[in-house]
Amino acid sequence: MASTLDWVLVSIGEILVAIGVFFDIVAAIGMLRFPNFFVRLHAATIGAIGGAFVPLIGVAIMSVGCDFLGRYRFFIAGAAAVTAVLILILAPVGSHVLAKAAHESRTAVVQPKVVDHLEEDRMTRGEEK
Amino acid sequence: MAMDLQFEVSMFITIVIPLFLGAFVMYIVRALKGPTIPDITLAIDCLSYDLAAFLALLSIYFRSPILIPCAIVLALWVYALDIYVAKYLLKKEMGE
Repeated sequence: MASTLDWVLVSIGEILVAIGVFFDIVAAIGMLRFPNFFVRLHAATIGAIGGAFVPLIGVAIMSVGCDFLGRYRFFIAGAAAVTAVLILILAPVGSHVLAKAAHESRTAVVQPKVVDHLEEDRMTRGEEK
Repeated sequence: MAMDLQFEVSMFITIVIPLFLGAFVMYIVRALKGPTIPDITLAIDCLSYDLAAFLALLSIYFRSPILIPCAIVLALWVYALDIYVAKYLLKKEMGE
Protein backbone atom coordinates (compact mmCIF):
# COMPACT_ATOMS: atom_id res chain seq x y z
CA MET A 1 0.00 0.00 0.00
CA ALA A 2 1.18 3.56 -0.45
CA SER A 3 3.27 4.71 2.50
CA THR A 4 2.56 8.00 4.24
CA LEU A 5 5.57 9.57 2.47
CA ASP A 6 3.89 8.84 -0.88
CA TRP A 7 0.68 10.42 0.36
CA VAL A 8 2.55 13.52 1.57
CA LEU A 9 4.39 13.91 -1.75
CA VAL A 10 1.25 13.38 -3.81
CA SER A 11 -0.77 15.86 -1.74
CA ILE A 12 1.98 18.51 -2.02
CA GLY A 13 2.10 17.93 -5.77
CA GLU A 14 -1.65 18.16 -6.09
CA ILE A 15 -1.77 21.42 -4.13
CA LEU A 16 0.85 22.90 -6.46
CA VAL A 17 -1.00 21.67 -9.55
CA ALA A 18 -4.25 23.13 -8.21
CA ILE A 19 -2.56 26.50 -7.61
CA GLY A 20 -1.07 26.29 -11.11
CA VAL A 21 -4.45 25.62 -12.71
CA PHE A 22 -5.94 28.58 -10.84
CA PHE A 23 -3.16 30.86 -12.13
CA ASP A 24 -3.63 29.40 -15.60
CA ILE A 25 -7.35 30.26 -15.71
CA VAL A 26 -6.77 33.72 -14.25
CA ALA A 27 -4.09 34.40 -16.87
CA ALA A 28 -6.34 33.14 -19.65
CA ILE A 29 -9.16 35.44 -18.57
CA GLY A 30 -6.63 38.26 -18.32
CA MET A 31 -5.41 37.58 -21.83
CA LEU A 32 -8.98 37.95 -23.10
CA ARG A 33 -10.04 41.02 -21.21
CA PHE A 34 -7.00 43.29 -21.09
CA PRO A 35 -7.12 46.32 -23.43
CA ASN A 36 -3.83 46.21 -25.34
CA PHE A 37 -0.73 44.14 -25.94
CA PHE A 38 1.42 45.63 -23.19
CA VAL A 39 -1.16 45.04 -20.48
CA ARG A 40 -1.62 41.52 -21.78
CA LEU A 41 2.07 40.92 -21.10
CA HIS A 42 1.21 40.87 -17.40
CA ALA A 43 -1.32 38.10 -18.00
CA ALA A 44 1.15 36.27 -20.23
CA THR A 45 3.91 36.12 -17.64
CA ILE A 46 1.42 34.96 -15.00
CA GLY A 47 0.23 32.28 -17.42
CA ALA A 48 3.78 31.26 -18.27
CA ILE A 49 5.28 31.16 -14.77
CA GLY A 50 2.27 30.53 -12.50
CA GLY A 51 0.40 28.48 -15.08
CA ALA A 52 3.28 26.33 -16.35
CA PHE A 53 6.19 26.41 -13.90
CA VAL A 54 4.16 25.75 -10.74
CA PRO A 55 2.16 22.80 -12.12
CA LEU A 56 5.34 21.30 -13.54
CA ILE A 57 7.02 21.43 -10.14
CA GLY A 58 3.81 19.94 -8.73
CA VAL A 59 3.91 17.15 -11.29
CA ALA A 60 7.58 16.52 -10.52
CA ILE A 61 6.86 16.15 -6.78
CA MET A 62 3.66 14.19 -7.37
CA SER A 63 5.22 11.70 -9.76
CA VAL A 64 7.92 10.77 -7.22
CA GLY A 65 5.15 9.94 -4.77
CA CYS A 66 3.08 7.86 -7.20
CA ASP A 67 4.44 4.37 -6.54
CA PHE A 68 1.95 2.82 -9.02
CA LEU A 69 4.11 4.24 -11.81
CA GLY A 70 7.02 1.96 -10.95
CA ARG A 71 10.38 3.04 -12.48
CA TYR A 72 8.75 5.60 -14.77
CA ARG A 73 8.03 8.03 -11.94
CA PHE A 74 11.68 9.14 -11.69
CA PHE A 75 11.82 9.68 -15.45
CA ILE A 76 8.66 11.83 -15.34
CA ALA A 77 9.88 13.71 -12.25
CA GLY A 78 13.26 14.50 -13.82
CA ALA A 79 11.85 15.59 -17.15
CA ALA A 80 9.14 17.71 -15.50
CA ALA A 81 11.77 19.43 -13.33
CA VAL A 82 13.95 20.11 -16.40
CA THR A 83 10.98 21.56 -18.28
CA ALA A 84 10.09 23.70 -15.27
CA VAL A 85 13.61 25.16 -15.04
CA LEU A 86 13.64 25.75 -18.79
CA ILE A 87 10.32 27.58 -18.70
CA LEU A 88 11.49 29.62 -15.71
CA ILE A 89 14.42 30.90 -17.78
CA LEU A 90 12.87 31.11 -21.24
CA ALA A 91 9.44 32.63 -20.59
CA PRO A 92 10.59 36.03 -19.30
CA VAL A 93 13.25 36.34 -22.00
CA GLY A 94 10.74 35.46 -24.71
CA SER A 95 8.14 37.95 -23.57
CA HIS A 96 10.78 40.66 -23.09
CA VAL A 97 12.08 40.22 -26.62
CA LEU A 98 8.53 40.23 -27.97
CA ALA A 99 7.66 43.40 -26.03
CA LYS A 100 10.77 45.20 -27.30
CA ALA A 101 10.03 44.21 -30.86
CA ALA A 102 6.37 45.16 -30.59
CA HIS A 103 7.14 48.58 -29.14
CA GLU A 104 10.01 49.42 -31.48
CA SER A 105 8.22 48.33 -34.64
CA ARG A 106 5.00 50.06 -33.45
CA THR A 107 2.88 47.08 -34.47
CA ALA A 108 1.27 47.06 -31.00
CA VAL A 109 -0.26 50.48 -30.43
CA VAL A 110 -0.31 51.77 -26.84
CA GLN A 111 -4.08 52.46 -26.65
CA PRO A 112 -5.08 53.85 -23.23
CA LYS A 113 -1.85 55.80 -22.91
CA VAL A 114 -1.05 58.23 -20.07
CA VAL A 115 2.63 58.74 -20.86
CA ASP A 116 5.17 56.74 -22.91
CA HIS A 117 8.71 57.77 -21.92
CA LEU A 118 10.28 55.14 -24.15
CA GLU A 119 8.55 56.64 -27.16
CA GLU A 120 9.70 60.13 -26.19
CA ASP A 121 13.28 58.91 -25.72
CA ARG A 122 13.09 57.23 -29.08
CA MET A 123 11.76 60.45 -30.66
CA THR A 124 14.57 62.58 -29.19
CA ARG A 125 17.13 59.92 -30.12
CA GLY A 126 15.56 59.78 -33.59
CA GLU A 127 16.03 63.56 -34.10
CA GLU A 128 19.64 63.60 -32.86
CA LYS A 129 20.72 60.71 -35.06
CA MET B 1 -5.14 4.86 3.93
CA ALA B 2 -8.77 4.24 3.08
CA MET B 3 -8.58 5.30 -0.56
CA ASP B 4 -6.09 3.82 -2.98
CA LEU B 5 -3.36 6.31 -4.05
CA GLN B 6 -3.77 5.50 -7.75
CA PHE B 7 -7.54 6.11 -7.64
CA GLU B 8 -7.07 9.39 -5.77
CA VAL B 9 -4.48 10.70 -8.25
CA SER B 10 -6.61 9.69 -11.23
CA MET B 11 -9.68 11.38 -9.73
CA PHE B 12 -7.70 14.57 -9.10
CA ILE B 13 -6.34 14.65 -12.65
CA THR B 14 -9.79 14.07 -14.17
CA ILE B 15 -10.98 17.12 -12.24
CA VAL B 16 -8.03 19.28 -13.37
CA ILE B 17 -8.10 18.34 -17.08
CA PRO B 18 -11.28 20.29 -18.00
CA LEU B 19 -9.97 23.39 -16.21
CA PHE B 20 -6.78 23.22 -18.27
CA LEU B 21 -8.84 22.76 -21.46
CA GLY B 22 -10.98 25.79 -20.53
CA ALA B 23 -7.85 27.91 -20.21
CA PHE B 24 -6.58 26.58 -23.56
CA VAL B 25 -9.85 27.57 -25.26
CA MET B 26 -9.51 31.12 -23.89
CA TYR B 27 -5.92 31.34 -25.15
CA ILE B 28 -7.01 30.09 -28.58
CA VAL B 29 -9.77 32.70 -28.69
CA ARG B 30 -7.18 35.41 -27.96
CA ALA B 31 -4.83 33.91 -30.55
CA LEU B 32 -7.56 34.03 -33.21
CA LYS B 33 -8.91 37.42 -32.15
CA GLY B 34 -5.56 39.08 -31.44
CA PRO B 35 -5.46 42.31 -33.49
CA THR B 36 -1.66 42.48 -33.86
CA ILE B 37 1.05 39.90 -34.58
CA PRO B 38 2.64 40.17 -31.10
CA ASP B 39 -0.73 39.42 -29.52
CA ILE B 40 -1.04 36.21 -31.49
CA THR B 41 2.48 35.06 -30.66
CA LEU B 42 1.95 35.94 -27.00
CA ALA B 43 -1.21 33.81 -26.88
CA ILE B 44 0.52 30.90 -28.65
CA ASP B 45 3.50 31.36 -26.31
CA CYS B 46 1.37 31.01 -23.19
CA LEU B 47 -0.78 28.28 -24.68
CA SER B 48 2.25 26.12 -25.42
CA TYR B 49 3.90 26.59 -22.04
CA ASP B 50 0.68 25.48 -20.37
CA LEU B 51 0.41 22.65 -22.88
CA ALA B 52 3.85 21.45 -21.74
CA ALA B 53 2.59 21.36 -18.14
CA PHE B 54 -0.56 19.60 -19.33
CA LEU B 55 1.52 16.97 -21.13
CA ALA B 56 3.50 16.29 -17.98
CA LEU B 57 0.27 15.90 -16.04
CA LEU B 58 -1.15 13.56 -18.66
CA SER B 59 1.96 11.39 -18.54
CA ILE B 60 1.10 10.64 -14.90
CA TYR B 61 -2.53 10.02 -15.81
CA PHE B 62 -1.68 7.59 -18.62
CA ARG B 63 1.14 6.07 -16.54
CA SER B 64 3.57 6.18 -19.48
CA PRO B 65 6.59 8.51 -19.82
CA ILE B 66 6.23 8.78 -23.62
CA LEU B 67 4.75 12.31 -23.46
CA ILE B 68 7.46 13.92 -21.39
CA PRO B 69 10.24 14.56 -23.97
CA CYS B 70 7.64 16.26 -26.12
CA ALA B 71 6.96 18.75 -23.30
CA ILE B 72 10.63 19.75 -23.12
CA VAL B 73 10.87 20.22 -26.88
CA LEU B 74 7.62 22.19 -26.94
CA ALA B 75 8.91 24.66 -24.32
CA LEU B 76 12.13 25.18 -26.31
CA TRP B 77 10.33 25.49 -29.62
CA VAL B 78 7.93 28.16 -28.39
CA TYR B 79 10.87 30.21 -27.15
CA ALA B 80 12.37 29.99 -30.64
CA LEU B 81 9.04 31.16 -32.06
CA ASP B 82 9.20 34.25 -29.85
CA ILE B 83 12.72 35.06 -31.00
CA TYR B 84 11.87 34.60 -34.69
CA VAL B 85 8.76 36.79 -34.49
CA ALA B 86 10.64 39.49 -32.59
CA LYS B 87 13.52 39.36 -35.05
CA TYR B 88 11.10 39.58 -37.97
CA LEU B 89 9.23 42.52 -36.46
CA LEU B 90 12.42 44.44 -35.79
CA LYS B 91 14.50 43.84 -38.89
CA LYS B 92 12.06 42.23 -41.34
CA GLU B 93 14.38 39.23 -41.70
CA MET B 94 14.45 35.89 -39.89
CA GLY B 95 18.22 35.54 -39.59
CA GLU B 96 18.66 32.60 -41.93
